[in-house]
Amino acid sequence: MSKKRKISLTEDELVSALRNREKIAVEALYDMYSASLFGVISRIIPDTTAAEDVLQETFVKIWNSFSGYSSEKGRLFTWMVNIARNLAIDKVRSKDFKNQAKNHELENNVTFIDEQRNTVYKPELLGIKELVSTLKPDQKSILDLVYFKGYTHVEAAEELGVPLGTIKTRLRMAILQLRKHFN
Amino acid sequence: MENIEEYIESGILELYVLGQLSPEEKLQVEEMAAKHTAVRAEITEIEQAMEFYAAAHAVEPAALLEQKINGTLVTNLADDRIFTNGHTRTEEIFEDDELVTDNVVQMNAKSSGFYKYAFAACLALLLVSIYALVNLYNKLQESNTQLTAMQLDKQKIANQVILKDNELDIYRDPSYKVFKLKGTTKSPEALLTLAWSADKQRVVLDMKSMKLPEHDKQHQYQLWAIVGGKPVDLGVFDKPGEADTAGVKEMKSVANAEMFAVTVEPMGGSVNPTLTEMVVAGATK
Repeated sequence: MSKKRKISLTEDELVSALRNREKIAVEALYDMYSASLFGVISRIIPDTTAAEDVLQETFVKIWNSFSGYSSEKGRLFTWMVNIARNLAIDKVRSKDFKNQAKNHELENNVTFIDEQRNTVYKPELLGIKELVSTLKPDQKSILDLVYFKGYTHVEAAEELGVPLGTIKTRLRMAILQLRKHFN
Repeated sequence: MENIEEYIESGILELYVLGQLSPEEKLQVEEMAAKHTAVRAEITEIEQAMEFYAAAHAVEPAALLEQKINGTLVTNLADDRIFTNGHTRTEEIFEDDELVTDNVVQMNAKSSGFYKYAFAACLALLLVSIYALVNLYNKLQESNTQLTAMQLDKQKIANQVILKDNELDIYRDPSYKVFKLKGTTKSPEALLTLAWSADKQRVVLDMKSMKLPEHDKQHQYQLWAIVGGKPVDLGVFDKPGEADTAGVKEMKSVANAEMFAVTVEPMGGSVNPTLTEMVVAGATK
């Protein structure tokens, strides 16, 4: 199945199209960010249907609350991924979701998802395997806990049994490592 | 400058990008970023790194989902244009960064409430309108009835004015001569006023001042003119009824008359006067 050509705008173009509530913004938003956002959501919520629901909720929220975004406070993706992560965490912690028998242990999600899904490898980016070799194991585990599992850094410190200061340092080191490779 | 470096080294900017800070801490970081370009640049680099990290972990959602989501947003777009209130509401909720429940559900609940009130308001307005309409209709009917009555009255008065004008014309016209026909020995009380214009050959009776003896229903009064010693028929007439508004009655025309007289004749009149039944008479000279 051949997919239509994806729309790609610069961040400024997309922001102004979203602000003017243009129809093209809807398509561009999806084409440019749905996979990245879905990657985060589906690592928090292993159930595909539930994850897809949250992705939809995320786009609705981005669309409806867009006037709350300001480019002075940060990049568009940072704002969007925080919406996605918070909605996903709300969903995982909600009563009706907990009642579902098919609930997986959060701990195993990251590797579970990576084994199950066909992740999208973009040629200009590093693959996950290379990332794993780039990051030290303790850096990757703290980053994934916070970024992909919805742990607060305080919860992560308890989970890993290390002081809060160490968590902050490790996070910074992990991200510095990523910056070295990406930039 | 050392302070800024220390600030950057502390790791708070990473926590900021990862959405780990309280609203107050977030505000402090944003103030710092606005003041120091180094902080701003550091944040952007962290953001870019995390963006690449997410892209590296990207998972393509099912192809069908795209249409579903885009459809929802386009529908939302249409909704936004109608329900701007709903829109600002969700913004407010989002402002304080407490990510709460689903927006779509809230908007629906809000809009259905709006329709409920709108419907109730419409219904109330309809009832008031119907009541006002019925009231107005009744008043209109009343006015119409009054108007018809007034038009009838007006016509009656106009007719009377025309009649009175005609009567007045007779008295104004100098060619008319007025005679009072006196009662005969048979009926000395009888009296009839008559106006005659020899020029116009017209004879008019004043019905109002008429005082003639009663007769039964088989008879009528008949007016005669004596011309050259011979009686000429000028027509029959009755005592005016209660409803009769005409004050005068015009009779047949005559050019010369030595005398006028009224007799009581059988219904329709006679060819020759029954002299024994003469009630009034009067000479013109």
